[in-house]
Amino acid sequence: MAAPPLWRSKSTRAFMFQSVFLAALVAAVLGATLTARSNLAAQGLTSGFAFLWKNTGWEMNFTLLKVAPTDPYWWFLLMGFCNTLFMGLISLAGASGIGLLVGLMRSGRNPAARLLGTIYIELFRNLPLILQLFFWYALANALPNPRQAIAFGGALISSRGIYLPGLNVSQGAVALTAAILLAGAGLAVWIAATRRPQGLDPVRRRRLVLIAPGIAILAGVLALAASHDPALPWLTLPATTGLKIEGGVRIQPEFYCLAFAITTYGGAYIGEIVRGGFKAVGRGQTEAARALGLSPWQVFSRVRMPLAFRAMLPILINQYVWLIKATTLGIAVGFSDFFMVIASSITHSGQTLEFIAILMGGFLAINFTLAAVLNRLNRAIALKGHQATGTT
Amino acid sequence: MDLTAPAIEIRNLDKYYGAFQALRGIDLRVARGERVVICGPSGSGKSTMIRCINQLEEHDGGEIRVFGTLLDDNLGSIDEIRREVGMVFQQFNLFPHMTVLENCTLAPMLVRRTPRTEAEAVAMRYLEKVRIPDQAGKYPGQLSGGQQQRVAIARALCMQPEILLFDEPTSALDPEMIAEVLDVMVTLAQEGMTMVCVTHEMGFARKVADRVIFMDNGEIIEEAPPGEFFDAPKSERTRLFLSQVLGH
Repeated sequence: MAAPPLWRSKSTRAFMFQSVFLAALVAAVLGATLTARSNLAAQGLTSGFAFLWKNTGWEMNFTLLKVAPTDPYWWFLLMGFCNTLFMGLISLAGASGIGLLVGLMRSGRNPAARLLGTIYIELFRNLPLILQLFFWYALANALPNPRQAIAFGGALISSRGIYLPGLNVSQGAVALTAAILLAGAGLAVWIAATRRPQGLDPVRRRRLVLIAPGIAILAGVLALAASHDPALPWLTLPATTGLKIEGGVRIQPEFYCLAFAITTYGGAYIGEIVRGGFKAVGRGQTEAARALGLSPWQVFSRVRMPLAFRAMLPILINQYVWLIKATTLGIAVGFSDFFMVIASSITHSGQTLEFIAILMGGFLAINFTLAAVLNRLNRAIALKGHQATGTT
Repeated sequence: MDLTAPAIEIRNLDKYYGAFQALRGIDLRVARGERVVICGPSGSGKSTMIRCINQLEEHDGGEIRVFGTLLDDNLGSIDEIRREVGMVFQQFNLFPHMTVLENCTLAPMLVRRTPRTEAEAVAMRYLEKVRIPDQAGKYPGQLSGGQQQRVAIARALCMQPEILLFDEPTSALDPEMIAEVLDVMVTLAQEGMTMVCVTHEMGFARKVADRVIFMDNGEIIEEAPPGEFFDAPKSERTRLFLSQVLGH
């Protein structure tokens, strides 16, 4: 068969279309940038990122590390970014836990548990998240003032926040410990998911998976202990002094309300994903496991859960990315997440475009990393030789 | 568990799905080492009956004893019986997230507390018996249907059960793979395994069965040694069924 003329060739045409599309895109971006620059220059505004090294002159109400008005913008942005990560970590973990529980209740045999699960999901899934957030925040503000704080165990609960007994260690040590623990967890996941080195004995691999977080926990505890001032007691208990509460660790209402709202709302969605995952597990596999004499817990943990998790994971990734974006609602109650720090920075500096670019870059980085890691996990545990989740 | 008692003893077994009666007063005795083939049209209750023996289905009336142990509400007796009764399913039902070897060692390690090295040695022995030791590291999804069913047989054998139940083991297989599975089943039968097989493979029944049972509409209609069953069936319904199965 003779080769078709160039303009009739499928591959040439495809290449032409792609090139034209790319050229148009580059032209559009370039044009927009140039226009914006000339307009900003006409208004007397300078573009560029030099402002990142200027002092902010304002304060953040929640940070994991120390922040002062004399600190530069980049440090504020970094701390806001960490707040978003922290909020995301806590609410995703919480939402996953609630989701698993509610999903299991809904797919179980007990009618009372099923009803409870259904009520939960219908209630939390059908109200707008921002409404739920305002509700919890209003509830938190209705708590008694610090002088009449409710004592619960060693904790004090008031409208100013929940004060928990804390360890007398430095904030830096806590951050270091958190980083060590995260690294340990990441290492464990990596060892479990990777198939390298090939032919590593599964028993030894499983042992390694347990050893990695073990070492991390040990290192974390040592880091905490090293920063403890021997002159002070190990625990600091919150106590009311005059009009306010001192000592202990304060969890501010903005933080726990947002975390609680995302956790409960996300839990309802994840509950449905979990239920769907268990539905996708073939009845045959469960029966085979029962016929072999496995206990109900063994059937669940060795067969149903691993197979259900594989069915859930692709949808869970979407949900996680969605929930991370929901942390930006913090601005509605005044939790200084990445979005709120950016919004304040824009008000104070006027560098709108640059900050929005940083904001978008930050969220893209979080969600892209999250999705990439989970997608990799998804590929690593995919059923070999199956197109889908293998229900036969 | 008393190995001198009959392997399976079923008395007056009833099973309902809502208002529909799936089993009507079934009586069946299987001696240790006996091979019984159960056949009958679809919906006749054959699968339901053998699934009652290891309590994948709960019965509503009558008694089931396995080696003298009565199957009742006692969870302990169900666990005890499941350890001694292996099952092979129509759809293989292998665990797709585990390798062939892991499929075979899971239950011995969890239920019998066999150490891993020993469980793996036993598994390799049975994988050799079903003639696929070279596939031990593969996943079920990478095997053909016939290979998967042979793994499923090996998996059941790894628990070293006294009785094997087969629930239409060749019905989901392509014709060219049926023989390899039947060959394995014939070998097992010749080695004296107590077997209860629901199957339409009449050649297999003629070759290895001590007794053939015909079920229809939730009842046992006829029960006879294969020679008598195929050559001189007593009941009209059996004759009709045999003409449909063998007639082409």
